[in-house]
Amino acid sequence: MTAPLLEVRNLTKEFPLRETGFRRRRVLRAVDDVSFTVAPGEALGLVGESGSGKSTTARCVMRLIEPTSGHVTFAGEDLMALRGARLRRVRRGIQMVFQDPFSSLDPRMRVQDIIAEGMVIHRTPPDSRARQARVAELLELVGLRPDHLTRRPASFSGGERQRIGIARALALEPQLLICDEPVASLDVSIQAQILNLFKDLQRELGLTIIYIAHDLATVRHLCDRIAVMQEGRIVECGDRTQIYTAPRSEYTKELIAAAPVPDPVRQREKQEQHAALRRSLRAADAAPAARIQSQGVEQ
Amino acid sequence: MVTPSGPPAGAAAGADSGTRAGSGQAQPGAPGAPATGTGPLLEIRDLTLSFQTRYGLVQALNGVSLTVGHRERVGVVGESGSGKSVTAQAVLGLVPAAEVSGEIYFDGEDLLKVSPARLRQVRGREIGYIFQDPLSALDPVRTIGDQISETLRIRGVRKAEAWRRSTDMLRRVGIRDAQHRMDDYPHQFSGGMRQRVMIAMALVAEPRLVVADEPTTALDVRIQAQVLDLLLELAEERSLSILFITHDLGVVSGFAERVVVMYAGRVLEEGPTDELFYRSIHPYTLGLLESLPRIDGEIPSRLTTIGGKPPSPADMPPGCAFHPRCRYALPVCAEEVPPLMRPEGGSHASACHRAGWLAEQPGVLR
Repeated sequence: MTAPLLEVRNLTKEFPLRETGFRRRRVLRAVDDVSFTVAPGEALGLVGESGSGKSTTARCVMRLIEPTSGHVTFAGEDLMALRGARLRRVRRGIQMVFQDPFSSLDPRMRVQDIIAEGMVIHRTPPDSRARQARVAELLELVGLRPDHLTRRPASFSGGERQRIGIARALALEPQLLICDEPVASLDVSIQAQILNLFKDLQRELGLTIIYIAHDLATVRHLCDRIAVMQEGRIVECGDRTQIYTAPRSEYTKELIAAAPVPDPVRQREKQEQHAALRRSLRAADAAPAARIQSQGVEQ
Repeated sequence: MVTPSGPPAGAAAGADSGTRAGSGQAQPGAPGAPATGTGPLLEIRDLTLSFQTRYGLVQALNGVSLTVGHRERVGVVGESGSGKSVTAQAVLGLVPAAEVSGEIYFDGEDLLKVSPARLRQVRGREIGYIFQDPLSALDPVRTIGDQISETLRIRGVRKAEAWRRSTDMLRRVGIRDAQHRMDDYPHQFSGGMRQRVMIAMALVAEPRLVVADEPTTALDVRIQAQVLDLLLELAEERSLSILFITHDLGVVSGFAERVVVMYAGRVLEEGPTDELFYRSIHPYTLGLLESLPRIDGEIPSRLTTIGGKPPSPADMPPGCAFHPRCRYALPVCAEEVPPLMRPEGGSHASACHRAGWLAEQPGVLR
C-alpha cells in the first residue's frame, strides 16, 4: 500500500467555555481523539450532523485553528511542528472550498483577482503573465467563460460562485482539496453540476479530496471511503459499500434510515421503519450524551 | 383535482366552541366562488403577483393555481426563485406586493378581498403557519409559553385556560417537562425543539389549514425525520390540511399526497405524489429527479444534469420559462406559454407542449 498523503492521529480540539469556578475550566471537546488517513487520489467523506466536529477537524488539519493535541502528517511533513514560512509553503498543498459561496468571495474583487490571489501571495508562478494564463486555464477547467474574468461576485449565481471558489482553491495546484459542504447552499438542479465537476477534477488532476457533508447521498456519490462523526468522534470508518449496505454503528444506521429518498413508496416505508426504530431507541437511550466535561486544570 | 371526502372538516376545530364562537361561516365573495364546505379548503386561482424593486416591476407569480382539499397534504416543490414561498406568504396575506390579481379562496371566502380585521381572524385561528427558521420567527425576549398562548389570548380565551391548553399542546409536540419549559425562552431550546415549539404555536388554536414553509430545512437529518413524523401524526389526529413548501424532493415524497412543482413563478406540473414521481410528464421534474444523487442503487459515473440556471425574475425568457434548459424543447416552446393541463393519455396536469408525447414514453424513470 502506498503511503498516505494525509495522516491524522489522535487529533483533539477543545474550546473553553465560561469559567465556572476557581481552578476549574469547562471545555467543549469539539474534536475528540480523531484518527484517519487519506491515500493519494482518494476521496474521503467526512459525514455527521451539525456540531459533530467535522468542520473543526478540517480546520485543525489545515491549522486554520490550532488543535489542542494530536499529530497531522501531510506529504511526509509534520504539520504541527512547522511554523511561519515553512508552514505556509507546505500548507499550500492543501486548499479549501467553503460552503457559502456568498460570504467566501470578496465582493469588491474581480474574479481574476480572486482566483489569482493565492498565486500572487506565493509568487507561483512568479511572472504575472504566466499567472494570467493560469487563471484563464482554471476558468475553463471549472466551466466559466473568459468574459467572466473582469466581473465581480455579485453578478454570479450561487453555482457560478462556487465554481469561482473551486478555481481559487485549485490555483496553487494543491494535492489535497478539502470541501466543506460545497453544494449544501446550492439549488437542486445546480448541485449535480458541481458534483460532476468534482468527479471530473478528481479524475483529470488526480486530486485527493476530503469531502465534508451532512448529506449522505452526495457523499456516497463522490467518496470511496467514508468516516462518520458524532459528537467529536469518528464512530465508524469504512469503504462506501460497507457503510451504505452494512453499517456497523447504530448512529450510521440511524442517519441512513433518516435520509429522505425521492421515491414515494420507499420513502413511506422508510418513515414507518424509522418511526419504529426511534420508538425502540427512545426507550434505550433516554438522555443525549453530554459532551461538556468538567476538568480540574491547574491554572 | 381534489374531491373533498367526508364532512366539511372543521371537525376538530369546530368542536372548540370557545375560540370559534362568532367566526361565522364565510359567505362566498364572488359569483363562481366555491361554496363553503363543499369545494377544496384552499383554492388559489390564477394568482399573479409583482414586486416593485429598483429594477422595476418584477413578477414573482404568474398565474398560479392550486388547491388543498380537506384533510389533504399538498407539497409545493421548487428551487429558489420559483415562487413557492411567495405563494405560501400570499395565502397568509404576508406579501407587501405592488400588484396582486387572482383569487385565494379559503373555505369559500376570497382572502384577497376580506378586510384586514377578518384576515387576522382567519390567520392564526383557521390557518396556522410554520416558518423555516424558528429562531427568527420567535421573539427572543418572551417566554415560549407567553408566545404560544398569545395565539389564544388574542382570540379572547382567558389566561388560565390559554396557558393550560398551550401546555397541553407543548406536551403533545414532544417537549418533555412541558409545564416548566413554558417559562423558558427560545434560546433555551435546540433547533429541533424550537421547531416543535413553532408547531405548537401553529396548532394551538386548532386551525384547519397549516402552511409550512420549509419547516425541516434547517434541521439535521435525524431531527428532520422526527419533526416530519410528528407533523404527519398531528395531521391525521387533527384532520388538518397542509400546504407544505420545500425544495427537497425526498422530504415531499414521503409527506405529501399531492405535489405541485413550481418554476419561475408558475406551476409546471401537478398531480398525485406517486404519479408525479413515477410517471412525470414534465422535463423539469424529470430532470430534477434524474439529477439527484441517491443513497442506494447504482452509482452513475456522472449525474445527469439540467444545464444552465433558473432564470432571473427580471429577465424571463419568452414562452415556457424552462425552454432554454430543456432537452426536449421545440420551436413552439420559445413562443407560447404552455397551459397547465392533463394531456391525453396522461394521469395528471403538466404545463408542457410535449406532455402528451412524454406520456407516451415508456418508463422514463424506472
